[in-house]
Amino acid sequence: MSRVFDELTNFARARSLFILHYCTGCGAIELPPVMTSRFDMERLGVSPMVTPRQADILLVTGYVSIKTLKRVMLTYEQMGSPKYVIGICSCTVNGGMYWQSYATAKRLDEYMPVDLYIAGCMPRPEAVISGLRELMKKIEQGEANSWKEYYRNYDYYLGNQQHLFGDQWQTPVDVIGEAEHYGLVGDGTRGEHTALLEQVQHPLKPLEMRL
Amino acid sequence: MMLSELLLELVLMPLVAFLVGLMMVLWMRRLGARIQRRVGPPLLQPLYDVIKLFGKETQISHGILHDIGIVMAMGGYIAAETLLPVPGMDGIAAYGGIITLTYLMMIPSLGLALGVGQCANPNGSIGISRALTAMLAYDIPFVIVVFGVAYHAGSANLIEIIDAQQQAGVRGWGIFEMPLLAIAGLITLQGSLGKQPFEVYVAPAEIATGPMVEMGGKYLGGLFVMQAFQFYTTAVLYTALFLGGAESWTALLLKSFLVLTIPLSLAYLFPRYRIEDLVRLLWKWPVMIGLLGVAFVL
Ligand code: SF4
Repeated sequence: MSRVFDELTNFARARSLFILHYCTGCGAIELPPVMTSRFDMERLGVSPMVTPRQADILLVTGYVSIKTLKRVMLTYEQMGSPKYVIGICSCTVNGGMYWQSYATAKRLDEYMPVDLYIAGCMPRPEAVISGLRELMKKIEQGEANSWKEYYRNYDYYLGNQQHLFGDQWQTPVDVIGEAEHYGLVGDGTRGEHTALLEQVQHPLKPLEMRL
Repeated sequence: MMLSELLLELVLMPLVAFLVGLMMVLWMRRLGARIQRRVGPPLLQPLYDVIKLFGKETQISHGILHDIGIVMAMGGYIAAETLLPVPGMDGIAAYGGIITLTYLMMIPSLGLALGVGQCANPNGSIGISRALTAMLAYDIPFVIVVFGVAYHAGSANLIEIIDAQQQAGVRGWGIFEMPLLAIAGLITLQGSLGKQPFEVYVAPAEIATGPMVEMGGKYLGGLFVMQAFQFYTTAVLYTALFLGGAESWTALLLKSFLVLTIPLSLAYLFPRYRIEDLVRLLWKWPVMIGLLGVAFVL
């Protein structure tokens, strides 16, 4: 019975995807044609959403500078699971033509688990659509579980983030707490980097209200 | 009426409303797609959305009021459905009347205000303050319209209002007897659905969908369900007041979808107003037309 239910939700998940297009680089320019009349992604059940809480897919469209990557991380951690990350453009795969730049993060999957890459500089809308179809196939078969990786190997991802952003790096989301709550603690959840985080972490305070 | 029959109706009416509401949401999206020369979503899209949202594995709650707010938003409409007579089912419409219905239709906005307040998101707070202002704006013409219709029919009971229209035939429908009130009602309908040009509180590009900004998973799912109910309630209420209700379900579906098509197709043609323009416009035109209509009825 629970298997039937799982399959039903997977079926529905694959057909209803809300994307948060975090338009980081030049690849973002290919998204408007994907959304509008010409290629119309709504016929696949994909529609744009504006806040991380509502979205299922985080589209990272192009190179991410270090400053931007911080925002991408904040966004990613606020999304509700199951969540999927798609890296569009070669720049997210290996740095692309920004390989020698001092200011961009080279590989996206060092900082967050990526479900699917759509390579190209920049990929055509057809490629984006076929990438989305690929992701839908994976979701329907229950294989798109990379969001669990983030909880299981949090130490690895946090380590790379600290390497880039400095040791003081912290986000408002308590990833370890969430992993414990949902039973997703793995071997890599805790480690030296999370120990460092616990040392420097200062608790979140409510914002001061001022007129 | 037997008690068991009544209980069955009370369960069945919201259920049917939910299914028809989902169809209306689909109709809205398909209509938008057609106007923009797109294909649009597949047939079961609204259902997939709702299942997916309720099937999310991590849910972020901001506290007890957040949960209660969503329940109130859905519950207000579910209660309203039992007061809306549809062919074959009257529910408790005979005891409630249209005034109770008017009150019940305000509960969702208030519930949303509670829930959003606890999320403490500035965009959400702006959104909900705009939503309440908009409610203030469209409720005045709405009350005028409802008063006019009830005065004309000599009763605040929806069943009697529908019966009177049906006995008088097509010429006796509210829309022919009270055309001014019907026009004012249509403008109010646009406001209460919160569609462009009155879409001030969702405004995705400006305040990131306002009240929905912190809603994910089952909370957003609840709001999707609420939207389905909202479409159904407003369209069926307008049908009951001005289009003579309906004898059969085919007629009801035809009429209510027709009613809904007008505001929805306008919505895809217009950008939106600012909030003060909305209040000014809604307090001027529908109120004036409505008062004139009431004067004719009196
Ligand atoms: S891959 Fe090319 S198009 Fe895409 S972000 Fe990099 S430089 Fe821009």
